Amino acid sequence: MARYIGKRLIYMILTLALIATFTFFLMKILPGSPIASAGKLSPEQRAVVEEAYGLNDPLPVQYFNYMFNLAQGDLGISINQFKGAPVTDLILSRMGPSAQIGFQGMVLGTIIGILLGMIAALRQNTWVDYSSTLIAIIGISIPSFVFASMLQYFFGLKLEWFPVALWKDGFMSSVLPSIALAMFPLATAARFIRTEMIEVLGSDYITLAKAKGASGSEIAFKHAFRNALIPLITVLGPMTVGILTGSLVVEQIFAIPGIGEQFVKSIMVNDFSIIMGTTIFFSVFLIVVILIVDILYGIIDPRIRLSGGKSS
Amino acid sequence: MRNSKVFWLLSLVLVLSAFLAACGGGEDTSTEPSDSEGDKEKESASGEMDSVQELNLMESAEIPTMDSALAEDAVAFNIMNNVNEGLYRLNQENVAEPAVAEGEPEISEDGLTYTFKLRDAKWSDGSPVTAQDFVFSWQRAVDPATGSPYGPYMMAGTIKNAAAISEGKMDKAELGVEAKDEKTLVVTLERPVPYFMSLMAFGTFLPQKEAFVTEKGDAYASNSENLLYNGPFTLTNWDGTGLTWTMEKNPEYWDAETVKLDKINVDVVKESGTGVNLYTSGEKDRAGLSGEYAMQYADDPEVVRELEPTVFYLKFNQERNGKETPLANVNIRKAISMAYNKQDLVDVVLANGSLPADFLVPTEFTFDESKKDFREVNGKMNEFNAEEAKKLWETGLKELGVTEVTLEMLGGDSELAKKMDEYMKSQLEGNLEGLTINLKAVPFAVRLELDEKQDYDIQNSGWGPDYQDPMTFLDLFVTGSAQNKMGYSNPEFDKLIEQAKGELAQDIPARWEAMAKAEKILIEDDAAIAGIYQRGIMSLQKPYVHDIVVHPFGGDFSYKWAYISGKE
Amino acid sequence: MTQNLEKLPKGSFERITVDTKQAERISKPSVSFWQDAWHRLKKNKGAIASLILFLLIVIMSFVGPMISPYEPNAQTITHANLPPKIPGLEKLGIFDGVGTLGGKEVNLYEMKKVEVNYWFGTDGLGRDMFSRLWVGTQVSLFIAFVAAAIDMLIGVIYGGISGYFGGRVDDLMQRIVEILTGIPNLVVVILFILIMDPGIIAIIIALTITGWTGMSRVVRGQVLKYKNQEFVLAARTLGASDSRIIWKHLMPNVLGIIIINTMFTIPSAIFFEAFLSFIGLGLQAPDASLGTLINDGYKLLQYQPHILAFPAILLSLIMICFNLIGDGLRDALDPKMKD
Repeated sequence: MARYIGKRLIYMILTLALIATFTFFLMKILPGSPIASAGKLSPEQRAVVEEAYGLNDPLPVQYFNYMFNLAQGDLGISINQFKGAPVTDLILSRMGPSAQIGFQGMVLGTIIGILLGMIAALRQNTWVDYSSTLIAIIGISIPSFVFASMLQYFFGLKLEWFPVALWKDGFMSSVLPSIALAMFPLATAARFIRTEMIEVLGSDYITLAKAKGASGSEIAFKHAFRNALIPLITVLGPMTVGILTGSLVVEQIFAIPGIGEQFVKSIMVNDFSIIMGTTIFFSVFLIVVILIVDILYGIIDPRIRLSGGKSS
Repeated sequence: MRNSKVFWLLSLVLVLSAFLAACGGGEDTSTEPSDSEGDKEKESASGEMDSVQELNLMESAEIPTMDSALAEDAVAFNIMNNVNEGLYRLNQENVAEPAVAEGEPEISEDGLTYTFKLRDAKWSDGSPVTAQDFVFSWQRAVDPATGSPYGPYMMAGTIKNAAAISEGKMDKAELGVEAKDEKTLVVTLERPVPYFMSLMAFGTFLPQKEAFVTEKGDAYASNSENLLYNGPFTLTNWDGTGLTWTMEKNPEYWDAETVKLDKINVDVVKESGTGVNLYTSGEKDRAGLSGEYAMQYADDPEVVRELEPTVFYLKFNQERNGKETPLANVNIRKAISMAYNKQDLVDVVLANGSLPADFLVPTEFTFDESKKDFREVNGKMNEFNAEEAKKLWETGLKELGVTEVTLEMLGGDSELAKKMDEYMKSQLEGNLEGLTINLKAVPFAVRLELDEKQDYDIQNSGWGPDYQDPMTFLDLFVTGSAQNKMGYSNPEFDKLIEQAKGELAQDIPARWEAMAKAEKILIEDDAAIAGIYQRGIMSLQKPYVHDIVVHPFGGDFSYKWAYISGKE
Repeated sequence: MTQNLEKLPKGSFERITVDTKQAERISKPSVSFWQDAWHRLKKNKGAIASLILFLLIVIMSFVGPMISPYEPNAQTITHANLPPKIPGLEKLGIFDGVGTLGGKEVNLYEMKKVEVNYWFGTDGLGRDMFSRLWVGTQVSLFIAFVAAAIDMLIGVIYGGISGYFGGRVDDLMQRIVEILTGIPNLVVVILFILIMDPGIIAIIIALTITGWTGMSRVVRGQVLKYKNQEFVLAARTLGASDSRIIWKHLMPNVLGIIIINTMFTIPSAIFFEAFLSFIGLGLQAPDASLGTLINDGYKLLQYQPHILAFPAILLSLIMICFNLIGDGLRDALDPKMKD
C-alpha cells in the first residue's frame, strides 16, 4: 500500500508539471494583453511597461522561469488584478471561505443525497421513491445562480433567517451558500445510490442474507449500502469539480471572499500569474481527491486490486 | 408500474410553486418604498446630524492597488480621492480648488512654469507633506522601472521630458518637477495646458513620502498598514486582496473639521442583484441600479440619478487587414450613424437616465468662462433620421457598386453591452436594406487587442474623461493616435487639434472654437464615429445620506462633505 | 418407500423417452437483447410518458417558432417587458397581461396600448418570448446532444479499453485521464472559448474536451468490477475472444451505468452552457438558448418572473424526462432484471 501511494505521489508531481505546462501555453494563446491601459500608450512606452513584467521574453524563457519558480513554490505576483500582490498570499487569504462552504456543501449534499437514494431504493416505485427522485431532479434542474438568488431572496431578504450576503457573521453567513452548493452533490449522490442499491438488492448474496434471516436494516446497511457506495466514490471527483464550478457562481452572488469569485475575472483580464496559480491550486486539490478516491476504492471493494493487476 | 400521473402533478406543483412564490415576493418589495417615503418626511423635519456618523457602501470590484503610481482603475482612483490629496481637489461644484496647494499657483507668462506653495498638510504618521513628496511620486510614476501605464499616459506631452523618460531615453531626474524648498513646488510643462488644475486633482499626481516607500520596499501599498494617508480619511482593514475595507476619519487631515463621517464600511459586491437586496435589507446605504433594475425602480423616491461624462459611440473601421472596408465610404458611415433610434435606446433598453448622444464631447462636462456648456456650441449632429439614412445608404451602395453589405460589430460582454448591441443590430438591419450585422461580444482585454490590430468593422466603444477639457475626447481621433485604430485621417481635423493644443492654448475662446469645429468635422462632415449615448447612472440611496459628491473624472465620489442625518 | 410406490394406481404415470432434441428447445420466442429491453421499457409508464413528452418538446421546438406570429429575433421596442397574455385564459386570472410596475399591479397591455397578444410575454427588447423559448430549446438540445454523444463515444471506448486490458495500457491511459481531470474543466472550457471564435461550435468543443473523462472513469470502474467475475472467467475459459467478452458480456452490464451517466451528461451540458451565459461567455447575441434565457431572467425574478419561469420550467421538464427515461432504460437494460 505504502509503495502504491508513493508511486502515485510521484505520478502526481509529474501530472502537475504537465498540467502547468498545458495551462501555461493555452493561456499564452489567450487574446489580449494583461496591461489594462495598454491601448493608451505609445508602442515604445508599452514595450517598456511589458518589459517590467517580463512579458517580452521569448515564450520558452517565460515558461522555464515560471516552472523554475513554481518548483520552489513561488507562484509569482499578480499583474493587474491585485498589482504586485503575491499569488500565494491571495490564495491563502481566500482559501478559508471557499473551503468552508465547499466542504459544508459537499458533506450536506452527500449525506442528504445518500439518505434520499437509500430510501428511494428501499421503497422503490412508491411515492417515497418518486418524491425523493423529484427532489434530486429539482436539485439539478435549477441552475445554481437561479437557486442561489432564490435562497438569498427568500431566506435572506424576506424571512431574514440568514444574512443576505457578505462574509461577516461566521457560520450564519455560510449557511445559504453551502445549501446552494449542496444541490449538485445531493442530486448526484441520490441518483447513484438509488441505482446501485436497487442493483445490489437484487443480487444473489442479498437473497442469501435474506434467506439466512438477516433483518431488513442489516441488509440495507451492512450489505447493500457498502456495495452501493463504490460508484458514489467514483463520482467524488466530478462532484468536487461541480463544487468548484458552483463556488464561482455562489461566491459571486453571496459576495464571499473566496478563490472562485475572482477567477473568471483573472482570465478575462489576462492576469497570467493568477490564472496559473489558481489553476494549479485547483488541480492539486482535484488530484488529491482522485488519489483518495482510488485508495478508498480499494479499501471498500477488495475485488479491485490496487496494483491495477493484469486481468487474471 | 409507476404512478406517473401523481409524479407529474407533484413535479409540476413543485416547480410552479417556486415561481409563484417568487411572484408573490415581488409584491412584497413593492410596499417597502412607500414606508421609507414616510421616513423621509420625518427626517427632513429634524435635519440634525446623527450621533453615529457611519456610512455603508459597496464597490463593484476589488482594489487592484493603492499605489498611486500604478493605479489605472475606477475603484483605486475613487478610494485614493478620499484617503489622499494632491495639489488640487474637486469641490462640491466639481471645480478644482487648491488642496495641498495653498492658494493659486504663480504661472509664468508663457504658461509653462507653475510655482505652487504648499500648505501645512500632514501625513497620517504626523510628518509634513513636502514638495519633495510630489517630486518623488511623479518621478516614480513615469519611471520605466515602475511599469506604470497611467504615469506615462497622464504625463507624456504635458510634464516636461515625461515622454522621453517613459520610453527609457532620459533619466527620471530630468522630469519637469522640482522642489525649490520644502513647501515650494515648481512644475515645468511641455506646452501650455489650460486644464492643468483639473489634472492636479487626478490620482496619478498624488504625493508619496519617499522615506516610507523605500522603507517598505515591495510591501509598500500591499495592505492598509503599509500606506500613508494625507486625505480626509485613512484606509483600514484592507488586507490587499480582500473584499472589504474601512475608511476612517483622518485626524491629521488639514481640513478635518469639515469631515463629518467617522467611518465608511465598504464591501465588494459584484452581483448587482445582491447589491439591491443588501440595500433593501438596510445593510447598505447606497446601491447602483443596472439595466434590469433601473426600470423597476424608476419611480422610487430613493432613486438618485447622475449623468456621467462617459460617452459611447460606434467606431467605423475604414481599413481592415490592409483592405478598405465599405465603411471607407462616407455616405455609408453617415447612413449608419443616422439609422438607429437613440431615444428609444435610452428610454427602453437602458432606462437609467442616459442621454442620446448626438455628439462626442458630453453634456454638463466642460464650460467656458461664462459657464456656457461646450455642448451648446455644436448642438446635435447626425440625429436619428431613418429617411435621410436610407437615401445616404442607397447613394453609398451605388458608389460602392454593391447591393448588400455585411459588417461585424464588436462589442463588450456585459449584459448591458450585449443587449444594446442586439438593439443596434435590429435597428440598423431594419432601417438599412441590404445590411447584415454580425455581433461579436468579447471581454474587454480581447476587444483591446482587436482594436489594436484594427481587426473589426464597427466597434461599440466608450470613453470617460481623464481631465476636464473637451480635448480628452477629441484628441483620441487624430491621425495615428493609440485610440484612433480605425484608419481615420483628416488633415484639417489634425490641424485644429494641434492648434488647440499649441498656438491657441492661451487664447481660450479661439481654442474653444477650434475644438468645436474639430468635433463638427469628426461627426457631421466625416461621420468617422457615431455617438450612441451619454451614460447616466441610477442608484438607490437612503434618504438619511446627505452630500455624497459625484465627480465627472478622477475619483468618482467624495465623502469629505457627506453626513448622516435622520437614520436614528 | 418402495412399498408405497407400488400402491400407486397404475396409469398415474406415463413413461417418457428422453429426447435430446426436446431438451435443446427454447420455449420462449427468441428475442434479441434489444427487443427484450424495448419490451420491458414499454411496461414502464413513467419512462414512456417522459419519452412522449420529450418528443413533444422536441417537436414543439421546431413547430413553436412557426406557429408564433413573431420572429424570435424581431424587436418591437414599444412592446418591451410585457407579461404573458393568452386570449381565453384571461378570465381565469392568469395569462391576462397583468404585471407589476414600480410596485403596482397594472395591465401593461392596456397601459402601453398594445393590441396584440404575446402568449409568453416579451423581454426587455420587445421580443416574443414564446418563439425565443422554442428556438432556445432547439439550440440547448443540440448543444447537449452533440456534446453528450461525443463524450459517450470517447469515454466508453477509452474507459473500456483501459479497464479491460489493465496493466501498462491502463496505467498509461489513466495517467492521461488524470492530467485531463486534474485541470479543473472550467479552466479549460473558459480558456478554449476565449481562444476560439465565440459561438456554438466553440461551446461544444470546450464542453467535450475534458467532458468525456467522467464517462471513461465510470466505464473503467464498471469494467474492472465485472471483468474478474465468474461469468467472464467462464466465457474466457470457453475461448471467447476479447471483443466478444467486451460486447456480449461486459457491455450489457455496463450499459446501465453508461446510460445513466449520459442522462447526466445531457443536463450538465445544458447547465454548463447556462453557467457560461452567467459568466458572459455564452452564445453570441441575438441567438438564444435555455441558458441565456434563464440568465436574462433570473435577475428579474422579483419583478418579471415570466422571463425566468418559462425557460426554467421547460428546463426542469427536460431534466425530469431525461431522468425518467434514464431510469426506465436502466431497468430495461439490466440483464439481472430479466423475468
